Amino acid sequence: MADREIISFSDVTIGYGKTKILEELNFSVYENDFIGIVGPNGAGKSTLLKTLLGSLKPLRGVVKKESLIFGYVPQRDLVQPLLPYTVYDVVMMGRYSLLGLFNNPGKEDKRIVEESLDNAGICDLKNYHYSSLSGGQRQRTLIARALAVEPNILILDEPTNGMDTPSHYSLLALIERLHKEKQLTILLVSHLLSDVANYVQKILLMEKYFFQFGNISEILSEDNLRKTYSSEFSVSTYNGEFIITSKKR
Amino acid sequence: METINQLIELFPFAVMGSIIAGIICGFIGVFVVSQRVVFFGASLTQAAIAGVAFSFLHLIDLESFAASLFNITITEDSIFHHLEPTFFSLLFASAAVLIFTKAQYHKSLTQDSVLGIIFVVSIAARIMLIQKSPVAEVSEIESILKGDILFIGQREFYTMLVILAVIISVFSIFQKQLKFVVFDPESADAHGINSKFWLLVFYLVVGMGISLTTRFVGDVFTFAYLIIPSSIGVILGKRVLSVFVIAVIVGAVVPPAAIYFAFIFDFSSGPAAVIGVFILFLIVLGMKRVSFH
Repeated sequence: MADREIISFSDVTIGYGKTKILEELNFSVYENDFIGIVGPNGAGKSTLLKTLLGSLKPLRGVVKKESLIFGYVPQRDLVQPLLPYTVYDVVMMGRYSLLGLFNNPGKEDKRIVEESLDNAGICDLKNYHYSSLSGGQRQRTLIARALAVEPNILILDEPTNGMDTPSHYSLLALIERLHKEKQLTILLVSHLLSDVANYVQKILLMEKYFFQFGNISEILSEDNLRKTYSSEFSVSTYNGEFIITSKKR
Repeated sequence: METINQLIELFPFAVMGSIIAGIICGFIGVFVVSQRVVFFGASLTQAAIAGVAFSFLHLIDLESFAASLFNITITEDSIFHHLEPTFFSLLFASAAVLIFTKAQYHKSLTQDSVLGIIFVVSIAARIMLIQKSPVAEVSEIESILKGDILFIGQREFYTMLVILAVIISVFSIFQKQLKFVVFDPESADAHGINSKFWLLVFYLVVGMGISLTTRFVGDVFTFAYLIIPSSIGVILGKRVLSVFVIAVIVGAVVPPAAIYFAFIFDFSSGPAAVIGVFILFLIVLGMKRVSFH
């Protein structure tokens, strides 16, 4: 049986005010998709995310969504707290939107928070201060918070930015595991093509006024990469993995 | 002991009022400092003073309006006595909050510039309004505008008690929203908590606290107690709750002690309270450095 369509963009134009960033976006997200949203800085990836989340209205067209719960993982650098929040405090925030205006977290919320910490592999860090953690640990904390919402879709905005190589790959492995084990629909935003090429099933390549969406093997062509990055790339495969290198080297 | 008795006898509400003012500022100061909008406190104190200056023009007679509305005679003891200064300081502070919260989402404006504009325009407005005031000398008005701990009377004391109750209630009831939008407004929005709305609510409550404490204890005291006790709390606190508790304790303990020393050494009580809390801040900073090494 085919997976269910849960989001569809029909002739959508995104942008701010009167400034159009991308026009005539047409694509659908299906249950259990793992989609990479890739493009250079300033291509409009964040604008697309905000439109998807509903915090920005499309300038034109229709975005259809089922009643979905989004788990959102922001760019880590945007979260710089001055107050000594513990990892547990931060992950518990994921439950707040589900509790109603006046209710406090109960036993079930605490159980879900513990489970989310476990799924993100940071149970042992729960009493640490968020601000004392490394980049990779902070990112896992924010992922655990997004999991605490018990989402239908997990959206990650540049999760591997500024990470060292081991943390980088360990985080991508965690995201892949969540997709496979939890059957989570995942949208992974990155400006690093290599981050997503060997993990996702579908890819959305975007640059101002250019947009391609489809299965990774169809979309990841030298022609599409040239249009997206205004640079020449060679795309090859080795042992079933994509190798993308610049032709200038 | 004799001095303390004398102090309580002469200024019974000043001592208790300074404690309440210190608690209000210490409590809301944690929000201001953690939001990294310290200058918000400075700008709002000036907006509140401009509001008081506006009230001296007596363009709108709110006391008579309240008297006719409730069919009462307003006496010196009535809560409606001197309604205009309090009302307009609140109104001006709320207008400043609205301008700040609206303008801070403007892409080409920084928070600092918006607050700087509010700060300097408030001072300019105050100067212009005082010049047109029919009441007494400019220097006399300036001193009334800026409040004084020793002038806290029964009415001011109870008003501050109500403000404290409102602030603590709002921040406690909506602590989930507060925590999330202060920590990460973008994710709060994505998870269904409207960060713009909740930040506006918290800024309005903070604005109310700042404007009314400024009215009663002065801008220097208010601004200092917004920043210094909460900074001490941030330095010493190991949990979010302990940051609030430390800020509130510092805000409650230092002002009455400062009033005592000011009384003995014949200083102004407001500045003495500021210097007192600053000395404590230096001690805490020094101790933290020693323990770090």
